Amino acid sequence: MTRVLVVDDAATVRLYHTSLLREAGFDVAEAANGLEAVEAAMSTPYDLFVVDVNMPKMNGYACVETLRSETVGTAAPVLMISTEDRPGDADRAYQAGANLYMVKPVDAERLVRVATMLTAGKGPAA
Amino acid sequence: MGLVRKTASTEPEEVVPPEPSVETLLQQVQDTDPELRREAALSLVEVAEAVPVLLARVGVETEARVRDAVLTTLAAHDTATVAAGLAVHLASDEAGLRTAVAEALATMPRSAPDLMPDLLAAPDHDVRVMTAMILADLPHPDAKTWLLRMIAEDPHPNVVTGAIDALLPAADAGDVPVLQAAVARFPDDPFLRFTVQAALPRLTGTA
Amino acid sequence: MTSTSTGGALSDADFERFTEYFYKRTGIHFTSAKRYFVDKRIDTCIRNSPYETFLTWFAALRMADRTDMLQQVINELTVNETYFLREDYQFDAMLSTVLPGVLAARGGVSRMVGPLKILSLPCSTGEEPYSIALRLLEEWDQIDHVDVEIHGADIDSEVLAKAAHASYGERSLQRVPKAWVNKYFTSVGSGRYQVDEGIRSAVTLHKMNICDTAAMKAFRDFDVIFCRNVLIYFDELSSRRAAENLYGALRPGGYLFLGHSESMSRISPIFTPTRLPEGIVYQRPTGAT
Ligand SMILES: C[S@@+](CC[C@H](N)C(=O)[O-])C[C@H]1O[C@@H](n2cnc3c(N)ncnc32)[C@H](O)[C@@H]1O
Repeated sequence: MTRVLVVDDAATVRLYHTSLLREAGFDVAEAANGLEAVEAAMSTPYDLFVVDVNMPKMNGYACVETLRSETVGTAAPVLMISTEDRPGDADRAYQAGANLYMVKPVDAERLVRVATMLTAGKGPAA
Repeated sequence: MGLVRKTASTEPEEVVPPEPSVETLLQQVQDTDPELRREAALSLVEVAEAVPVLLARVGVETEARVRDAVLTTLAAHDTATVAAGLAVHLASDEAGLRTAVAEALATMPRSAPDLMPDLLAAPDHDVRVMTAMILADLPHPDAKTWLLRMIAEDPHPNVVTGAIDALLPAADAGDVPVLQAAVARFPDDPFLRFTVQAALPRLTGTA
Repeated sequence: MTSTSTGGALSDADFERFTEYFYKRTGIHFTSAKRYFVDKRIDTCIRNSPYETFLTWFAALRMADRTDMLQQVINELTVNETYFLREDYQFDAMLSTVLPGVLAARGGVSRMVGPLKILSLPCSTGEEPYSIALRLLEEWDQIDHVDVEIHGADIDSEVLAKAAHASYGERSLQRVPKAWVNKYFTSVGSGRYQVDEGIRSAVTLHKMNICDTAAMKAFRDFDVIFCRNVLIYFDELSSRRAAENLYGALRPGGYLFLGHSESMSRISPIFTPTRLPEGIVYQRPTGAT
């Protein structure tokens, strides 16, 4: 099964994204901030990261940078989802190493479609 | 070789290097060496006269780990000056800065509450999203009241969902009408609907 | 003293005033969930003092900032539970991966300047630093080629006195192989065993508050620090300050072990997590920050 790590400090967002992705056949784990995500990614290889921007301890950009750095060194696709829509945010996400940047709220179908697209080849339900 | 005791000849036990004067520390906070800046910021704990210099540092500091040290020291002051000086950065374009500042404010139960009227009315909805994040962790009896007000009144759906997320751990059956009213206010937000629906069984005791 | 006006329970306001004061002094935050525990321990302190009521006792404690009184409260209110070879897999990690990494980073055994330094903070009654000593002596192939300093530190003067005396009962020694007990301990009667002088004198003990930045400056250049099962008692700000002080006590590239239920991910991002086969360990980053 394709493994996804949902990274968000909001428990409600984690629950929403997790249920949508599970329903679509992904194997989903959660992390409540960037550092937790980094620690999780060190222990388990994920096929996709869905990462929020505003998080305590380590924000989304720093998290993605660390996932891409030699500390973790994953090449798995990263989807960043932000509540904010400031000029330059998307650039910042791509600079950090994200594959795609989207602004909340993300509707259910779109999330699953994008997750499937980003993990193409793996497919949701293997 | 093997286990050795710390050699007493060079350093008598428990020697603390003499603490630099406050003046020196205030200079070191601006040094070019980040480690010196970090240590100086930590050492200035409980030094009231250092507050202006440290506050000025928050916005310009480029090293996250130095900024964290500055904020750790500042947050311990928990005064109106510090709270107001930090709150201006909630609107920062730099994600690291605005989240670090929100975290610091969430540990300031004495002074952060006075900011709430202004923050709840901030024209920038991103600032209000950060405000919900502060209220989620602020140990203050009124935190829940402010969150309920955001949920009932804020015009932006992302602020409302942020406030709901912050409220839920402390929510009870009495909050159900406010949550349902929020769903009715934003009928097109699937996430909001899902979140409230998922929380209802626990709140109404029908889980 | 036989009677106190607390009757073993403080008023809400007193509880709050006390916990706030205690937090400022130690970084330890008691929520009302710990109410019963705190009430009982304070009652003990008052009974052991010349004061009759909470108010007079608390006034004396605060006004003179009496260190002896404060120390007594600290001793009563800290959780000191520990035992030999606790969370042993971390010592495995230290031997198999961390120490070889430290030696390599310091230029190898032959070129290393100064001893290898290990800190156990908090060390409570001493089981942790002595466990480190035992495992190094028994299982580290480099122990004859490297000077190792082991330090233990704690805020509680009573546990430090016990650590210095180093005599332990069955419960604490449960996980220590019989052969090690025979080799490194002396029976002192009533089922207790004392760590031999050779090891005792090799471990340096310090009284230390991990949240006290100025005092923590006495600790520098440690290669490995064990900070296990204390940060869970701290609130957000104190645990952050403690993390920052630990950072200052480590050599760049030095390693930090937390208790197995603890994680830096909820405290501070200043360390770099490193994955070892035995679990996650934290490193102070090397080079420019
Ligand atoms: C449960 S013991 C942990 C001992 C050992 N590290 C272990 O894991 O078994 C906790 C210790 O933390 C000490 N302690 C509490 N607050 C402290 C502080 N601010 N600074 C240093 N030590 C502290 C207590 O005195 C107690 O001995």
